[in-house]
Amino acid sequence: MNASTLDTRLIDTRIDAIARMRWRKWRNRALVYGLLAALVAWSVYVIVIADTDWARLAGASLLKTLGRFMEFDVALLPDLVDPSIDTALMATLASLLGLVLALPVAWLGAANITPLGKASYVFGRGLMTLSRSVHEIVWGLIFVSAVGLGALAGVLAMAVRSVGFISKIIAEAIEDVHPGPIEAIRAVGGNKLQVLLYGIVPQVVPVVIGTVIFEWDINIRRSTIMGLVGAGGLGLVLFRQMAMFNYGGIATVILAVLLLILLGEVISHYARKAVL
Amino acid sequence: MAHALQVRDLRAGYAGREILKGVSFDVAPDDFFAIIGPSGAGKSTLIRCVNRLVEPTGGEVLLDGRNLLSLGQHHLREARRHIGMIFQEFNLIERLSVLDNVLTGRLGYTGTLRSVLRRFTRDDIGKALSMLDRVGLRDHVHKRADRLSGGQRQRVGIARALMQDPRLLLVDEPTSSLDPKIAREVMGLIREVAAELRVPVLCNIHDVKLACEFCTRVIGLQDGVKRFEGPPARLDERAMHDIYALELL
Repeated sequence: MNASTLDTRLIDTRIDAIARMRWRKWRNRALVYGLLAALVAWSVYVIVIADTDWARLAGASLLKTLGRFMEFDVALLPDLVDPSIDTALMATLASLLGLVLALPVAWLGAANITPLGKASYVFGRGLMTLSRSVHEIVWGLIFVSAVGLGALAGVLAMAVRSVGFISKIIAEAIEDVHPGPIEAIRAVGGNKLQVLLYGIVPQVVPVVIGTVIFEWDINIRRSTIMGLVGAGGLGLVLFRQMAMFNYGGIATVILAVLLLILLGEVISHYARKAVL
Repeated sequence: MAHALQVRDLRAGYAGREILKGVSFDVAPDDFFAIIGPSGAGKSTLIRCVNRLVEPTGGEVLLDGRNLLSLGQHHLREARRHIGMIFQEFNLIERLSVLDNVLTGRLGYTGTLRSVLRRFTRDDIGKALSMLDRVGLRDHVHKRADRLSGGQRQRVGIARALMQDPRLLLVDEPTSSLDPKIAREVMGLIREVAAELRVPVLCNIHDVKLACEFCTRVIGLQDGVKRFEGPPARLDERAMHDIYALELL
């Protein structure tokens, strides 16, 4: 047996091994996709096919309902100005309050600066999860029972709901800061607070501002449904129109919400540009 | 007053791996020490052990006769005030102005409230302006640090170190992020300001030619052990082989 046949055999066994590996990979992938497809089919059957009133969808009934939404209630428009302003103000207040509450949470939940090691880190991360895992409507119900019906309950609910997102993004930005400036501030004899203020804060300021602007945008949307728990603004008008089955009125309010969010998009676009 | 640094049997390492295996040398007030050696020899660790950005595991570091390794956190910060450091990647705070970056050199002398409000004293601001003049950045005082070129940024780093009224300058690969021409300018500037203030310099540098041109004394480090110490003129082929040999084999 000479060297070259040995080489050929060696290569052959390696190729075989690679081929087997690829087949296994393909088979596993096919299995996963197959399971996913089965899950989708099952969901579609349970939720759509079995649960829908098909008789209602047939014929002109659907179009007729949609048509009723198209009859905008123009008379409602003057009554929407004040609630729109309320909604925007609620969102602004909630976002700023959310930021104030989020800063200490981010400090606790950033692994590299958390003050008491693992304990405070887990506590901070726990607060973030708590804030995000409870729906704003549920937060709203909690605050309505605490401070009564009205915009204050809505603002508090949205603020608390904002904390999770804002603090999580800030904490992650803190964990990702460039270590160079921190080293420099330590080298000049800076203490922990000075390292935080000069080494870390300037690096995360753009993230903080960008995140709050984004959260403000989300809170405008949120505040439209805070009407459910009796908070003021467009949400309250929306639910009144729904209670009266005034489809045109509902469509008008939704249109106002859409305009407000578009306005928010425009403002946040320029705000972002101005500060970064 | 002239300042001097003594390093005695300095050891450092982590996770059971020794990075510095007992390094000793004396830096006189007028010395410009260059530390050369292959990557991973422990040059950067050595520099950072002096101001304890890396905590040594043994030995002594005496600055003006005081052992820095026995200081508690509070006194260590006081000692660091007087040790200027210049970094390879400049380590500037990118979003702050050139002036604010230079002023951070005074943080060790600045109280908490003034730090929070970023209110430095008039004296500090005057000092910062004159330092920026000294390093040739008079026209860039109010620019953001991230708007400057590499060479200019390193000059900000030098001005920041000078703000500390340093008794020692630690310099970590000051030219690795710069092109050859700018690198020589920066090395020249560091040598000039160190001579003006009569502070000793301890400088990591992997460019042997540049090291020999600017320093008064060379230390050759290899695998955490000092293989050579002497004036650049004595750094002949045999010494070079000694420092870099294992790398080649």
